[in-house]
This record gives sequence, C-alpha cells and structure tokens, in this order.
Amino acid sequence: MILSLDPSQSESKVSMAMRQTPLTCSGHTRPVVDLAFSGITPYGYFLISACKDGKPMLRQGDTGDWIGTFLGHKGAVWGATLNNEATKAATAAADFTAKVWDAVTGDEVLTLAHKHIVKSVNFTQDSSCLLTGGNDKIIRIYDLNKPEAEPQEITGHTSAIKKALWCNNDTQILSAADDKTVRLWDRNSTEVVKQLSFDMSVSSMEYIPDGEVLVITYGKTIAFYNALSLDMIKTVDAPASIHSASLHPDKDFFVAGGDDFKLYKFDYGTKEELESYKGHFGPVHCVRFSPDGELYASGSEDGTLRLWQTAVGKTYGLWKCVLPGEWTPSCRNISIIIF
Amino acid sequence: MSTLVTVLRLPRGPDPNGRGFDPNSTRFVALCPTTISASTETWTDSVEVGEEQRARSALRESFLRTLIAMTNKQVQFHMYERVEVEAKFGASDIDVLNFQVSELQTPIGVQKEALLRAKHRKMLLMTVYDADDPPIELPTDD
Repeated sequence: MILSLDPSQSESKVSMAMRQTPLTCSGHTRPVVDLAFSGITPYGYFLISACKDGKPMLRQGDTGDWIGTFLGHKGAVWGATLNNEATKAATAAADFTAKVWDAVTGDEVLTLAHKHIVKSVNFTQDSSCLLTGGNDKIIRIYDLNKPEAEPQEITGHTSAIKKALWCNNDTQILSAADDKTVRLWDRNSTEVVKQLSFDMSVSSMEYIPDGEVLVITYGKTIAFYNALSLDMIKTVDAPASIHSASLHPDKDFFVAGGDDFKLYKFDYGTKEELESYKGHFGPVHCVRFSPDGELYASGSEDGTLRLWQTAVGKTYGLWKCVLPGEWTPSCRNISIIIF
Repeated sequence: MSTLVTVLRLPRGPDPNGRGFDPNSTRFVALCPTTISASTETWTDSVEVGEEQRARSALRESFLRTLIAMTNKQVQFHMYERVEVEAKFGASDIDVLNFQVSELQTPIGVQKEALLRAKHRKMLLMTVYDADDPPIELPTDD
C-alpha cells in the first residue's frame, strides 16, 4: 500500500494505490513444478502441488493452509492433479509410477507402474478414468474401477510427453510433447484428429472446458486456441521466456510466469500487459487461477507457492481490506510515502 | 476511497511431526471413506456404513495389538527376490511405512539397528516366533 499526498490538488488528498501482497506457502524443499486446483466443493476448493522433493502437498485453496502431504513416491513428482470434488488426487513421478490417492485421508489408493518417468496425470470429470503421459511417449487411459486391467494406450508422439489432458467432455485428449507438437486424439479410436506443430517445445498447456479454450506457452509466447478445432484465437508475447500461463474463468485476464521470476497479468481482450509482480526467488514453473478466479497460485524453482490476488485490495481469504478508522500501526505490509 | 489491504496471517505450513489430513477436520469427518473405491459418493445406507466402520475398527485394533505383541520378538521378514532376513522387532511408525528392528541378520552381516521400509513391496510376510511356541503367520496391512 502506498499512501501519497497529491501536491497538484488545492486540498491535499490522500489516495491509496494497492500493492500486491502475495501469500507465501512454504514447506517444499525443492522446486515446485506443477500445481492444480480442484473444483469448488462444499468445503471450499483445494490446491495440490508437485515438487521435486517427491512429497506432493494438499492445501486449502483460498488460504494456502497446508492440509497434508502425500507420502509414498520415491522420486521427484512432476505432475499432480485433483478431481473436481477434491476427494481424489493423482500424481506423476520420476520413480516410474503414477499414484492415485484418497485426498481426504491422504492414503495411497493405487500405484500404476510405467516404463519411464511419468510427467502428467488427469482425471475425467466423473473421476472414473485417469490419463497419464510421460517419457515413454505413450498416453495411457486407466479405468479406475478396474485398476488391474491393462490401460488403453495411445501412441504417436516421438518424444517425451509433457502434458495430457481430457477435453471435449472427456471424448477427446490433448497432449503436448517435446517433439514440438500438440495433438488432439479421439478417445475411442485412439487416432489423432488434429495436430499443431511449433518451432520449439511447448512449455505448458491449460484446458478451459467452459468455452473450449486451450492455453499454450512456448518461448516468450502465450497462445490461445480453440480446443475443438485447434484454430488459433490469438497470441501474446511476454517480456521473458514463459513457463506457464492461466486464463481467468471470466476470460478477461490471463497471468503468466517464467524465467525472470515475475508474474505478469495481461488483459485478454486487448493483450495489454497490465501488471507485473516480483516475489519469487527463482523461475516460475506453474501458475493457475483458482476456480472462482479470486486468486492465482504460482510455483517456483525457489520451492515456494505464492497466492496472488486477482483484484488487489479485496477482502478474500487471508487478505483483508481495512478502512482508515480501523487501521492500526500493527497492520502488516504497509509503507507510507509522503511527498 | 481510502482503504488498504493487510494480511491476517501467513498460510499455515506443514506439521513436522506428521503427514496431516487431520481426522478431526470437518471434511474428514463428513467424507471419511468406508471403502477404497470410486463409488464412495453413492454410499447411502448408514447402517451398512456403521457396520463396516465397526468391522474396520476391530481389524485395525487387532492389527495394532499384534504389532505391540511382537515387540522384542524374533521376526523373519520375507521380502522380494526371495530374500529372508531375521531381526528383533522394535516398532512400526504410525503410518506403517517403516519398521524399526534390531540385530538385523543380513547376508552381508548383522546390522545393530535398522529401519525396514514396509510399503515398497507388493506383499510383506512376517513370521514371528520364539523358542517355546510354534511359529504363527501374521496378516500384514497392505
């Protein structure tokens, strides 16, 4: 918060410019490489973080409060996801397994052995199937009601898969790989429906079911595509190499973070850069809006997650708007500049 | 318009002593699953739920009493790759992820104190015996 007296006015006016005060969630001891929110449940919404320390954590989404740590992986966890109800979690790890967890008790429910590092996991809307993808270049579909059955396999990628996501009401699959392609597959035929090729590897992918939008990042670019047709909607260039981006549920803003440690906020309609925020002490690997759009979470090489307000200055979660009469010198994060 | 934003407190961090998932939390109490399956949400018969809970509690208590009874007893661990090792059983951690043992007899020598990982095997069978009683086979929590 910056409190300033405006000398150009005949009467001194006090105006407040809101400064973004991120909430830092500590606990991980290595870089945070992936994060995901659940849907909105009767108990609020939740956040899971994947970390190279091998211990993915579940947090309350609106406060960042730690709820529990999923213990069991024997290597770096590269991907993590929650089902809509936040009753199940899934993780993808360097120990060549994907695991399904009970997200209420923290118990490990299923271990799915793979032949190489697993990078990505994604539940269907009804949580009945799990999609996995990783360094063995194969997309797998597991029926969680028959976990001992062999998974359905989708082959075609020629390099490690970074991300595989259900789309179009779980009838299709989107995948991004180091072969510099993004592919759209039909779930039943396992054939590729459409393909996008890039000059460089895609660093991240986000799928927005409402409106069927696909957000892809590569180099300094954040690109938006129609998820059904893979037609490009628009591209926006950031000042630095971007590792991850997320579109606000109302599709008015998007946020992005990458190599220069900053979080950028852009206007989706005008493509204008609105704000940039420093805070992390390392590259930003992942960023996602919460399901209600009130905040976004970022994960960094510095081992922390940070929660950022979408509308800075609003009372929400652990952020509180204080009126002048209520303000006391003990309030945190206040700086005063008078000129 | 004169307002400012402050932070009420910092987000709570992990508990160094446990893995969390507080069983007293509202969500845990409301949702604590009685079966490890995808159909938990459709379980509506509270009588059946109660009965299964009682059965689970009884089994859990029996398992914990078994672990207590094994303390300081000679135990044989049957592991993967047909490896069998003997040791004196000490304790299990709260999540049954590790067993603390003493005088672990291994092919390369005796380890005075050791921690055996319980969950990285598909199945763990322990045979507990002492000199006067015949060996009994115990169930494992897996």
